[in-house]
Parts: sequence; structure tokens; C-alpha cells
Amino acid sequence: MMTHGSFWEMGGYARYVWPCFALAAVVLAWNVWSARRYHAAAQLRARRALIMEASVGDEQAS
Amino acid sequence: MWTWFYKLASPPYVYSLAGAFAPWFFGLAALTLGFGVIDGLGFAPPDYQQGDAFRIIYVHAPGAWMSTFIYTLMAVAGAIGLIWRIKMGHAVAAACAPIGASFTVLALVTGSLWGKPMWGTYWAWDPRLTSELILLFLYVGVLSLRPAFEDAARGDRAAALLAIVGVVNVPIIHYSVVWWNSLHQAATVAKFGKPSIDAAMLWPLLSMLLGCMLFFGAVLCVRLRGEVLNRERQASWVRQALQ
Repeated sequence: MMTHGSFWEMGGYARYVWPCFALAAVVLAWNVWSARRYHAAAQLRARRALIMEASVGDEQAS
Repeated sequence: MWTWFYKLASPPYVYSLAGAFAPWFFGLAALTLGFGVIDGLGFAPPDYQQGDAFRIIYVHAPGAWMSTFIYTLMAVAGAIGLIWRIKMGHAVAAACAPIGASFTVLALVTGSLWGKPMWGTYWAWDPRLTSELILLFLYVGVLSLRPAFEDAARGDRAAALLAIVGVVNVPIIHYSVVWWNSLHQAATVAKFGKPSIDAAMLWPLLSMLLGCMLFFGAVLCVRLRGEVLNRERQASWVRQALQ
């Protein structure tokens, strides 16, 4: 196992290793965020469509 | 026996199944990715030639593996949608595309950052690098083609066709290091025979690969629910599902 100091230095390759792991974290976070946003937007659109449908039905009934 | 398979063509079944699986996939992905990162960065020994720079493998190799795996799945799902006219096939293909493109970007950028200290350059028009870049262009093509049509069904068919034609690039990516002279190293794990990597380095790599697969399963489930809702907005089951 590495010591604390050598862990962050990564044997002199820190400027290559850490950006790779940071990018991986960004890619994973973006995937979670965009998938949830996509689903939430679809839910909103479907709910709006249901409300519109219900209001058109009410107007026709009256 | 095949009833469950036929059920996968049913939008309400797929919607509820994806909702049930997503939290399990997220939980298991967090565990396996967490183990892989801690073991890979903190406990795996440095490579005798590359030193600690080799640790980039723990994000680069899973990214590259996922980029080709997701593309293949997208092409298979597109083919199912195209041949058997199963709408859920196109929905899966549409959900796969942005996830696969993001993993391809991860593979290309981390590969480039690994290339600089090892090869002395961020980029070379090497067969492996070039074929992986073509894969990114194919993803961009599929992502752009679907919304380019006013008729959603035509957009699905066009995107599926492009995905199927582009799948020829997947074996080219894999065997590019065998067929041509390449700066890129040959296969370490995905090959016949014993992996050419020490067990202490291999376990975190396998954990990261499994974690990325589980993570993909999780985000695919969430995206797929959105796709199904967008496609089935007028269906009566949507009313019940949203209440």
C-alpha cells in the first residue's frame, strides 16, 4: 500500500492519473443527472398530456 | 418458458421492470466501483515498466469495453425493432446511444492522457485510436439521425440501420491491435488463455468492469423509462403508472 504523500503524487504521473479519474467521475455523474432529467421531463410531458385530455373531455361533457 | 421474453415487448411491463431494477443496479454499481477504485488506486502494485501511470487502466479499459458493448447492444436492439417491429427495441437503442457516447469520450480522453507519458504523444492516427474515434462518430450519427425525422418511426428505422451498419467497426476495434502494427498494447484480459496481468492488478480491473456494467444497467433503466413514457404518452396504462 502507498504512503499518503506518494498516493497523491502517483509516482510522478499525478497530472495524468487524477484527471482520468476526475473525468470518469464526471461521466458517471452526467449519466445519472441526464437520465433522471430525461425521465422527469417525460413524466411531466405525460402528466400534461393527461391533464389536457381530461380538460378536453370536461369541455365536451359541458 | 419464453413468456418472460415476450413480455419484454410490452411497454408497461418494461416500464415497471426498469423501475424495479434501477435501484438494485445503482446500489451494486456503487459497491463494485467503490471497491475497484480503492483497490486499484491504493492497493494494486505499480507496474514494473509504467509505474503508477498504469492505474489509468482502471477507468480507460472499462470505458473502452463499455463503448463497444453498448454499441453492440444498441445495434441488436435496433435490429429487433427493425425486423420484428418491436417498439421496445427502438426504445432500448435510443436509451443506449447517449450512454455509449459518453463512455467512448471517456475511453478516448483517458487513452490520450495515458498515451502522453507512455508514447510521448496525446494522439496518433493509430488503428485502435482511429477506429475508436470512428465509433464516437457513429454514436454522434445515431444520436443526430433519430430526431432529424419528423416521423418518429422513420427516425427509429434510420438510426437502427446506421447502428447495424456501424457494428462492423466493433470487431475492427478489437482486432486492430492484431491486424495492424499498433502503438496500443494487445488484449490483456479479453483473449484466449490466461490474462497477462497479475491477480493483484486484475481484481480491481474486473471489479471496475462489473461496476460499469451495473452502472450502465442502472442508467439504462432510468433512461428507458423516459423513452417508454415519451413513446406511450397516449396509452391508457400511463395514467395508472403516473398515479
